[in-house]
Amino acid sequence: MAKAFKYGLKGITGYLEPAERDLLRSLIADVISMLQPQERGGQDPLAELIGLDMDVAEPSDRAVKRLLPNVVKDDAGASLEFRQLTERSLRETKIGALRAAALDLDKDEIVLTPEGARHWSMALNDVRLVLAERLDIQDEEDAEHVHRMQDWSQAEDVESYLALVYNFATWLQESLVQAMLQSLETRR
Amino acid sequence: MTISVAPGPGTREGTRTGTAEATDSLTAPDIPWNLVIWNDPVNLMSYVSYVFQSYFGYSETKANKLMLEVHRKGRSIVASGSKEQVERHAVAMHGFGLWATVEKASGGNDGTPGKSGGPGQGKGKRG
Repeated sequence: MAKAFKYGLKGITGYLEPAERDLLRSLIADVISMLQPQERGGQDPLAELIGLDMDVAEPSDRAVKRLLPNVVKDDAGASLEFRQLTERSLRETKIGALRAAALDLDKDEIVLTPEGARHWSMALNDVRLVLAERLDIQDEEDAEHVHRMQDWSQAEDVESYLALVYNFATWLQESLVQAMLQSLETRR
Repeated sequence: MTISVAPGPGTREGTRTGTAEATDSLTAPDIPWNLVIWNDPVNLMSYVSYVFQSYFGYSETKANKLMLEVHRKGRSIVASGSKEQVERHAVAMHGFGLWATVEKASGGNDGTPGKSGGPGQGKGKRG
């Protein structure tokens, strides 16, 4: 079984079983593939260099849209304009955090610097946001319903399996964030 | 990380000292923009508080108060400033996975950062 993250002399540490690391690795890879910008020919190389993307559109996939939300409520035009300027770099930020977390999965014991912990918390959060869309968690009641699935022997279909995976990621993120809050307090 | 806090109600008249943003013809320098964080059933309360503390440098008390306001009222204004400032914050919040939007401050609305004891304290259901 995985051990909860904790904050101590070495920093923030955690331990995951090989199967748990494989699971997280594949979840992270899924989210990365959703975030990878579409490579289109004919992009202005300078625009690409500074992160502009004039061909960007509001994502049609709900999970991708949750990762890259509109910045102005009820104003698709202003939101799209903002996407052109910022979406590419936001995708890169997220992919960077996800890749950093995936690299840490190569070791049995996970030892995180404050920066590494931040990457992990962002990566786990994005993984949970995507799983939550797949599980159709729309409100607190849905979340509560999913949260009740705790027994792996009950996993008999894709949905219950996804719910268990979601709960595992939630537990892991909660333990990480508690350790990060403790470390913040100590550094103050 | 510093942010400019929106002037309180009634102080707008007296805040015409800033010249730095006078070149921005699209935004009147004395009308701040707000960064709004919206509630969602996925983000952990502890994580949202951590983001407010680590990114904005807010105290634990202030971060928790804003986080609970998001949770109970569905949204909270967590920072104010120029359009550019709040847009930069919004990208950072999206990086963390929080659901953030920017909006022009309408003036005299609730949830201004820095005020304590806002309305709605203790109301609403707990998750």
